[in-house]
Amino acid sequence: MNHRWNFDAVWANPEALLAGAAGTLRIFAICLVLGLSLGLLVGLGRYSKRKWIYLPASAFVEFFRNTPVLVQILWFYFALPMLLPFEISPLMAAALGISLNSAAFSGEIFRGGIQSLERGQWEGAQALGMTQGQAMRRVILPQAIKRMLPALTNRAIEIFKMSTLASAVAYVELLQQGKLIASIHYNPIEAYAVIALLFFVFLYPMVQATYVLERRLRQGD
Amino acid sequence: MYQWDFAPVLANSGMLAAGLVNTLKLTATALAFGVPLGLGLALLRLSRFRLLSLPAGFVVEFFRTTPPLVQLFWFFFALPILISVEMTPFVAAAITFSIQSSAFFAEVFRAGIVSIDRGQSEAARALGMSGAQAMRRVVLPQAVKRMIPAFMERSIELMKTTTLVATVSYADLLFQANELAQKTFRPLEVFTVTALIYFVVIYAASLVVHRVERRLATSGETTVH
Repeated sequence: MNHRWNFDAVWANPEALLAGAAGTLRIFAICLVLGLSLGLLVGLGRYSKRKWIYLPASAFVEFFRNTPVLVQILWFYFALPMLLPFEISPLMAAALGISLNSAAFSGEIFRGGIQSLERGQWEGAQALGMTQGQAMRRVILPQAIKRMLPALTNRAIEIFKMSTLASAVAYVELLQQGKLIASIHYNPIEAYAVIALLFFVFLYPMVQATYVLERRLRQGD
Repeated sequence: MYQWDFAPVLANSGMLAAGLVNTLKLTATALAFGVPLGLGLALLRLSRFRLLSLPAGFVVEFFRTTPPLVQLFWFFFALPILISVEMTPFVAAAITFSIQSSAFFAEVFRAGIVSIDRGQSEAARALGMSGAQAMRRVVLPQAVKRMIPAFMERSIELMKTTTLVATVSYADLLFQANELAQKTFRPLEVFTVTALIYFVVIYAASLVVHRVERRLATSGETTVH
């Protein structure tokens, strides 16, 4: 235990860390938007009574929930290009893997949220002359979203953590930049400690906010 | 049109099988250390003494909120230098996932323990048991039953997380797939088969979880998440 901690080299190149942070935020934003909007579609699809919608949506959810996300990313990066006439960039592969994985998980959140509402809400909306689609949009979803909010923020936190997997296909994000700094300055102890702390400092307030939100909603209901 | 050819994958199926064995070995090792460690963390976190509960809470929150891949890199590349001990990839990975999963198991244990009615431990104390005896003989046995589904789900999550070791060259299933893809120039077939192997193993495990959950529900038992 005679290691002398020295963080100078980590901070010597703030541009490297900033570029990494920008990459992390970019892939997080892409996967959050794609993952949640696809998840809503999949959740509605699994709620459908029509078999040709229900079955593929269910197969999608089961497959992407029951395989590791890193396997999905590597499949999109190494395997998919064999079927396509063009190359897949690291960002595309990682964003596809993380977004589809998140769509499967958030699809289940949306389905659960919609199912948690009483039948009376549907019947009331239909008695007022709304179509199924209108009832879903104006009555069911607004109430369901409120109940799903803590689960969805948890998903967002998971997506943020998963974004580090993009480093496996050499996409420039925080962990990838940590690797770069560690290999240039031979300081893996400090480099990876700083990366871990950066994630902790960013995510810890989000986690706490989710707890507060959960408690508030429980009191509100 | 792409010509699918699974023959090279089948010819080398031993490589993938060896990888699957290593994946299972790593998962089992991390479980064997992570579960008791998680119970310890949960008990510390529930302690009345802040000197115990605060550090335990910090460890749990830290490992739950930082990405597992960052943790793995630190344990893999930094820890051996810090303590000047050579580590095989397996040991480094086992340490990482034991600690990482213990943070999640701690939360499962904690939720299970606090879900047991206060009256249970009060009654145990009234019968003359010490706090530890009441925990061991009355509270934990009931709590564990409620935790079973959450515990199994966490174990499945753990198995999915072990794929991260492929990035630091422990020969798990995903790492073997990568090697095989480079050897045979058949990434499409190799990675597709690999994804299917993971799916079969993990899906079978989650079906068992659903069944157990339903069993517990019909027996009138509440479960915690």
